[in-house]
Amino acid sequence: MVSKTEEEQVNRLENQVENGGGGAWEYLCLVRKLKLRRSDKVLKYGVAILKDPKKRSALGPEEWTLYEQVAIAAMDCQRLDLAKDCIKDLRAKFPQSRRVDRLEAMWLEAKGSWADAEKAYSSLLEENQFDQAIHKRRVAMAKARGNLSEAIEWLNKYLEIFMADHDAWRELAEIYVSLQMYKQAAFCYEELILSQPTSPLYQLAYADVSSYWRLFLFF
Amino acid sequence: MRSDQIPDLKIIKEGQVIIRARNLRAAANFIPAKSFRARRHYYSNEENGLLYVPKGQAQNPQAQMFSDPNMAMDMMKKNLSMIIPQTLTFAWVNFFFSGFVAAKIPFPLTQRFRAMLQNGIDLSTVDVSYVSSRSWYFLNLFGLRGLFSLILGEDNATDDTQRMMQMGGFGFDPTRSLGAEKDNLDIVQHDWALPKFEQRAEAVLKKLVS
Repeated sequence: MVSKTEEEQVNRLENQVENGGGGAWEYLCLVRKLKLRRSDKVLKYGVAILKDPKKRSALGPEEWTLYEQVAIAAMDCQRLDLAKDCIKDLRAKFPQSRRVDRLEAMWLEAKGSWADAEKAYSSLLEENQFDQAIHKRRVAMAKARGNLSEAIEWLNKYLEIFMADHDAWRELAEIYVSLQMYKQAAFCYEELILSQPTSPLYQLAYADVSSYWRLFLFF
Repeated sequence: MRSDQIPDLKIIKEGQVIIRARNLRAAANFIPAKSFRARRHYYSNEENGLLYVPKGQAQNPQAQMFSDPNMAMDMMKKNLSMIIPQTLTFAWVNFFFSGFVAAKIPFPLTQRFRAMLQNGIDLSTVDVSYVSSRSWYFLNLFGLRGLFSLILGEDNATDDTQRMMQMGGFGFDPTRSLGAEKDNLDIVQHDWALPKFEQRAEAVLKKLVS
């Protein structure tokens, strides 16, 4: 959850960049830091920076982080060719890198070859059990395929290890609600309330879900 | 020289359990009584509660630390990289600067400190405030640490003394804090805040309006 000042800052930078002022790199850094999902803008400005050799060399070693960010944004906008180019460049620079492996697995997932992506993720997880991002991608893939029970299973396994990750609890709660398993959803929302008692969102969601469940019991 | 520490599954899990249990304690009044009791039971019940640590295991971390080859190597490396330069410098200082008075401490000291601070000085009538260079060395070592971290940036060789002080808290933390969390959790009295919310809101609004 971004704070209000940060959101205003991002919007201001966005307007500035769109109207021709400089600051594209600051915008991209801020988006990356706050983990926002503005893939079309990121793609546009990132590609502009990468195509211009002068700006690219001005970035120095940060340019590879930019490559990664642009690759992910391209996959989000379904520009798979662009993503593939970025990944190839990254692979040429870092041949043994696990981060590049992860990007390639994400590319397979974006393309839709679920089985290959699944294999790639499993092998990555065998090497490093503690990579939270890969766990989450596996859950997201199961969800995208429509296989919600598998998604629930993976997410539960993830939560057994990383119990304090409230985004994951939230995701689990939403999946349960969509499956109408209100009792379990109520449990997840309780966890969320415990970790952030001042957030009204979770209290309201909890109230909704509990009332659904009570109705369920009556009928 | 220090090996990259691959986080242990158990340690991560324990850390996360502690966070979760702490949250439960902090916000216990926001969830209904039954859920609270269920969770408390989940954490502290005798067979497989997450926080339950049987007495026998409590001393294990220390034994584990020495039997686990990776961790033992790690600690040895840490120790060596710290001790050797310090020993060398200390010996050098001793050799070159023994036998004379280097500094005067501004406040008076008792005679008991004489052995500690005046090691090279063989006159017993000299005031204890006048210290030898050895103590000057130690003073500098610990005192200028702050200055060094400003100048050289964080995480430099002189920070070893900090690590020396931190060494104690390595493997003991998880077990002890789990036990502490469990005790704290047992103490908590649950009081579901929901039924009283309306009165509280009314009181607050009354204060605002009046």
